[in-house]
Amino acid sequence: MRGIRFSRDPLSLAAAALLVVLLFCGLLGALTGVFGNPSALADLPLQPPSLSQPFGTDNLGRSLLARTVAAIQQSVLLSTAAVLIATIVGAAFGLVAGYVGGLVDDVIGRLADTLFSFPAIVLAILISALFQPGAASAIAAVTLITLPAVIRVVRAEAMAVAGRDYVVQSRIAGASALYAMIVHVAPNILGAVIVQAAYSISFGMIIESGISFLGLGVQPPAASLGSLLFDARPYLPLAPWLVFVPGLVLALTILSINLVGDGLKAGFEGSDA
Amino acid sequence: MTLPALTLTAVGKTYRMGPPWARRTIEALQPLSLNLARGEMTVVIGESGSGKTTLAKLCLGLIRPSTGSLAFNGETFPGQPGRLRGRLAAVLQNPAAALNPALKVHQSIAEPMRLAGLMSHAEIGARVAELLEQVRLPVALASRFPAELSGGQRQRVTIARALSTTPDLIVFDEAVSALDVSVQAQVLNLIDDLKRQVGFAGLFITHDVAVARYIGDRALVMREGRVEAEMVARDLYHPAENLYARGLQTASGLFE
Amino acid sequence: MLKLTDLVVDYVGRKGGNRVLHGVSLAVPRGAVYAVVGESGSGKSTLAAAIGRLPVPGLTPISGTIELDGMRLDTASEGELAAVRRDLLGYVFQDPVASLDPTMTIGRQLVLAAGLTGKRAVGALAELGIRDPERTLASHPHEISGGMAQRVAIAIAVARRPRLIIADEPTAALDASVRRQVLDLLVAQCRAADATMLLVTHDLEAVRRYADHVAVMHAGRVVEAGPTRAVLDSPSAHYTRVLLASTIGHEQPGERVVPTEVAP
Repeated sequence: MRGIRFSRDPLSLAAAALLVVLLFCGLLGALTGVFGNPSALADLPLQPPSLSQPFGTDNLGRSLLARTVAAIQQSVLLSTAAVLIATIVGAAFGLVAGYVGGLVDDVIGRLADTLFSFPAIVLAILISALFQPGAASAIAAVTLITLPAVIRVVRAEAMAVAGRDYVVQSRIAGASALYAMIVHVAPNILGAVIVQAAYSISFGMIIESGISFLGLGVQPPAASLGSLLFDARPYLPLAPWLVFVPGLVLALTILSINLVGDGLKAGFEGSDA
Repeated sequence: MTLPALTLTAVGKTYRMGPPWARRTIEALQPLSLNLARGEMTVVIGESGSGKTTLAKLCLGLIRPSTGSLAFNGETFPGQPGRLRGRLAAVLQNPAAALNPALKVHQSIAEPMRLAGLMSHAEIGARVAELLEQVRLPVALASRFPAELSGGQRQRVTIARALSTTPDLIVFDEAVSALDVSVQAQVLNLIDDLKRQVGFAGLFITHDVAVARYIGDRALVMREGRVEAEMVARDLYHPAENLYARGLQTASGLFE
Repeated sequence: MLKLTDLVVDYVGRKGGNRVLHGVSLAVPRGAVYAVVGESGSGKSTLAAAIGRLPVPGLTPISGTIELDGMRLDTASEGELAAVRRDLLGYVFQDPVASLDPTMTIGRQLVLAAGLTGKRAVGALAELGIRDPERTLASHPHEISGGMAQRVAIAIAVARRPRLIIADEPTAALDASVRRQVLDLLVAQCRAADATMLLVTHDLEAVRRYADHVAVMHAGRVVEAGPTRAVLDSPSAHYTRVLLASTIGHEQPGERVVPTEVAP
């Protein structure tokens, strides 16, 4: 593959940098514990931000800094895992639907549309109700919710590429449909798939935060940015930092993922096919 | 007499459109018979809707005839899939879409050879260099991507790919229409030289009479699925007797 | 109508800049069909974009004047240019699908870009030879053929009755057999709208057929300009002669046309 290009726009670059910093902090916290132990009682409960506790403490006395850092990692990891599954499965279906067309396309299209027509949160709640609330059902929910969008995008791109002369040429030269799909169509739709995955990750984070905020996603003692918000609700008048800090971090993370998605899109639009 | 590369016997194509209770039939090609002989360039001249594209697709085995039959080197065509790998090739209109942008030039040229499975890796590599020379392109271009080549160069790469398995038949579908006027002449000269050297049967589809009479040995003028007139291509250097053909000559800017 | 004097334009990219137009001068009479002909790389498309001061990335006008109907475009402000592009200039580009917004239906785009609603939109499309106007209006750009999309682009370009229509290789991306129809249509629409047309093309046949005047470009310069018949039948510039000699259509039966290279 010729290399993924990224936009040189300062905003996109700043967003990418921010994202790297956030992820790095998450990783650093998980590996070295330098931000503190997210489960340990560090101080008195409901302490406002201070020099010793930069983000304050929660209702049990745990360091909010430590929990936020752990939560960043958890949220991003969950969404990314879910979107990875959705992308692999969705791209496969979309590719076949777009290339083969006809009845296959109709069937796959209908399935995707049915899934797509569910309001995301409702579907997410449904899945959490069916399975045990927890990280696994959060992943399942995000996967199912982002799957139709991936199928749609890949299908549209695959259709456009499938009609191109070089694909026709390979069929004339005796290539099978599978060969044409893998060698000719797939590499040329990769850009769109990656961009869609980026946007899906940010959407996935919103969904995961939403379910966790409702108490149906990540369960204590684990923390995701959404579950931190769930935990913080009863204490809002007493300890507003418990809401603002995770909320702000969540917003920044989603924003920067979206901007990175834009940057990737701009980078791909600069190039080919 | 050697066997023609491709023989069409009363080949016609009809399409059925619409839902079962309101079927319409469109006769894209009325039954025609044609021999495409080795070393000969048959030009098909027509506008859109004339059936020329349908004819090209039939000759490439991309669609099946509704009536009649085709024989390639004497065997039923299209026959078993894969049987004729490498025996036919095409050069299409749009140089921008002719090559996979993700593949280097040598990979695109090598593809038909690899799919035919008859040559070793080393043999294929040598042949790619040979082909680039044959189409008068610098061998250094082999490691470039299509985006780095001009339209004319891409078209030559497509020709190189078409020749790679020394096919018996090459179909050129508006192969020079998207090129600059002076590049057109170069590419047509190249195709003519290769036809003599390699000896393939050629089917050249075009709407431009100037191109047709320059490259063709034999010409068929098509209109609405039917062969309107047939002549030696060189005759088109004079005003045609057939009125429709005459109209096409004028439309191509000749004899105004 | 349009007067260019010594227009110099560079393309500035990541690796520095290079000069694309080396001082182009031409004068387009009102109401004429004026062709700018040249091969790929001659700078003709850059010229087309530079006249309207289009915001093409990297396109950098260096010097020279652009006068449209007496108004100086090279020194105009962004606001004035926006008004000019909206009311006085119409553009038709090579790739119709790229000129149209992929997310909106054709109907909506006609409303937004040209103010054509309901019956007038249907009428405009029908006039352009589109057989099922209602269905086209409801479609998206990728659902219609290239020829139809270009007709829509033409409809949009002429709808506001611009004084100058610049068409940059309007048929190059279309299937060879519909090119003539679309070009006929474009010229007819220009004439009907009383507009002057600048046709940028590499197709000498099209020039012969439609253009009153022609300017021949090579390597960023105009090598020759004048009435079409005069330039094409008795060219005075060496490049023009070579270009004509390199095109097929005028050779003897059986004679080879051997193109020659001309140094910039």
